[in-house]
Amino acid sequence: MNIVVCVKQIPDPAAPQSLEAGSHTLDRSGKLILDDSDAYGVEMALQLAEQAGGGEVTLVSMAPNGETAGLRTALAMGAAKAILVSDDALKGSDALGTAKVLAAAIGRVGADLIIAATESSDGYTGTTPVQVAELLGLPSITFAKSVAIDGGTVKVDRQTEAGYDEVTSPLPAVVTVTAGVVEPRYPSFKGIMAAKSKPIETLSVADLGLDGGQVGAAGGRQVITSVDEAEARNAGEIVVDEGDGAQRIVTFLENLKVI
Amino acid sequence: MLTTKGSPSPISELNVDDSPEREALRSTVSKLARSYGRTYLKEVVKEQRQPTELWSDLGKAGFLGVHLPEEYGGGGGGMADLAIVIEENAAAGIPLFMIVISPSIAGPILAAHGTDEQKATWLPGIASGELKVAFSITEPDAGLNTHNITTTATPRPGGGWTLNGQKYWTSGADEADALLVVARSDEPDDRGRTRLSLFLVPTDTPGIVMQEIDSALTLPEKQFVIFYDNVEVLEHNIIGDEHEGLRQVFAGLNPERIAAAAVANGIGRYAIEAGTNYAANRQVWKTPIGAHQGVAHPLARSHIEVQSSRLLAAHAAQLFDAGHDAGEASNMAKFCAGQAATNALDRAIQVHGGNGLSNEFGLSDLWFVARMFRTAPVSEEMILNHVAQHSLGLPKSY
Repeated sequence: MNIVVCVKQIPDPAAPQSLEAGSHTLDRSGKLILDDSDAYGVEMALQLAEQAGGGEVTLVSMAPNGETAGLRTALAMGAAKAILVSDDALKGSDALGTAKVLAAAIGRVGADLIIAATESSDGYTGTTPVQVAELLGLPSITFAKSVAIDGGTVKVDRQTEAGYDEVTSPLPAVVTVTAGVVEPRYPSFKGIMAAKSKPIETLSVADLGLDGGQVGAAGGRQVITSVDEAEARNAGEIVVDEGDGAQRIVTFLENLKVI
Repeated sequence: MLTTKGSPSPISELNVDDSPEREALRSTVSKLARSYGRTYLKEVVKEQRQPTELWSDLGKAGFLGVHLPEEYGGGGGGMADLAIVIEENAAAGIPLFMIVISPSIAGPILAAHGTDEQKATWLPGIASGELKVAFSITEPDAGLNTHNITTTATPRPGGGWTLNGQKYWTSGADEADALLVVARSDEPDDRGRTRLSLFLVPTDTPGIVMQEIDSALTLPEKQFVIFYDNVEVLEHNIIGDEHEGLRQVFAGLNPERIAAAAVANGIGRYAIEAGTNYAANRQVWKTPIGAHQGVAHPLARSHIEVQSSRLLAAHAAQLFDAGHDAGEASNMAKFCAGQAATNALDRAIQVHGGNGLSNEFGLSDLWFVARMFRTAPVSEEMILNHVAQHSLGLPKSY
């Protein structure tokens, strides 16, 4: 059972963020870390490979400046190896451009199952994984809250607003997992030390056989024209209960026409 | 409107982690510890129990034994690695004193002087956290003067020894599986000096009576007076060579000071983080109080003190791990860390105004824990004596 997990390395959400002037894209020039939302996919993959009694978990990532810090975190969790696509030509890639790169990289590995997070914590488009599936000609199942392998098929409980759907698909397939599909492990000290010597293959756009005009800002179909500050939320009204608290709440709800 | 400003964990760009693996260790432990947080430790202390869940998570991931030999279940790293584990827990508001004792003191002593059998029996458990060993050295009438230790180990005719005496401030003895006991093992020489031996005594051995000391320390680890009343120690429970106890104990003392410095540095960071966040967000008149230099400068001063102390502690760990004499550096690191932590906590409490004294803010209840590091594991005065005598070559005062 060979599983590929798409992982994104993002600027630390706890650190101050900034947008690049002109392109309005997130400044990714600093140190990047593993997107927390990808830890679920890595853990799911590790558990499925373990249950299958063999096989490898391979990470596939696209990041600037040859960044590997986030990949090392996932390797420390237990993934066997990683492919990193890093190329100046990829700067300014939109979701589809990213999907083309990831699909080409995955194509080199040959996976039984491809796992990704539902969406990244810094981009939030939630479109890349299904685009990858489409480019690879594979079925995709999104919003998995549980994943099980049964022979040549994958069984997924797919979270919906009303509950969940039980979906079965032949393998290979692309599955996106929600936070909560499994509890990610913390890398152990041995895992951290072992990650040091695990292979990370770094590829360029040309290595993938892609044309520079298809990816990056050059191939992008999405342009960010302007960015506005999010509207500040007004402070809530604090009602001091002077015996009439219940009545004032009722009045407030009546004004909202909810009762 | 309140905005959250301030660094999530002031480390500064004085980079003390010298490899990507140490950076990864720090961020992993930080994440794990912060998933528990200060609230968890406060609950544990209130419920008078041990932080078993966190301890077990740290043990399973191999973090409690990062510095112990790989062949005995450790990680094969050094004190620099253990210091990261300790500091990140304390920086999350969780000063784990048991790490300073069982893995930091007992671990290195056993690794250096234990027999293969003792190492195989104890080190894997110490590394995984499933076994704990407390350190029983200090006595009411001897203090740090080991020559005055009166607990005696008398050889028994059939082999082994009988222990008699009294120790105090033995931390965490009630939760320990064994006690590392320092006892005099022969008669004083003509200068009144005695030779000491080191024993590993299971805590369920008959004749051991523990009496809790009513201390101001809000820690899960309790402090004890321990009475050894005809406690029989088996032949295989001596550590290293008979009469060589004092020399052997030194294998654990520099790690103990490096570990203590790491706890104190973590507390310092925790206090500065709390103080900085409060100063950045608390607004009384037009600006956050952190805009006033009277509030900002004490925090900045503490940041400098804590970061200097961290660099010294990292240097001490580096010397120890490289096999150099780390005595001076370890003691100086502990000295600076104790002062930096106490100052940082005091200033963070002051920044919080009245809230600094509310237990809700998780500062004032740390006071005596931070303050302890000016006294223990070795007092500031004894460190100054050591530095005056050994670093400066001044005459011996005692």
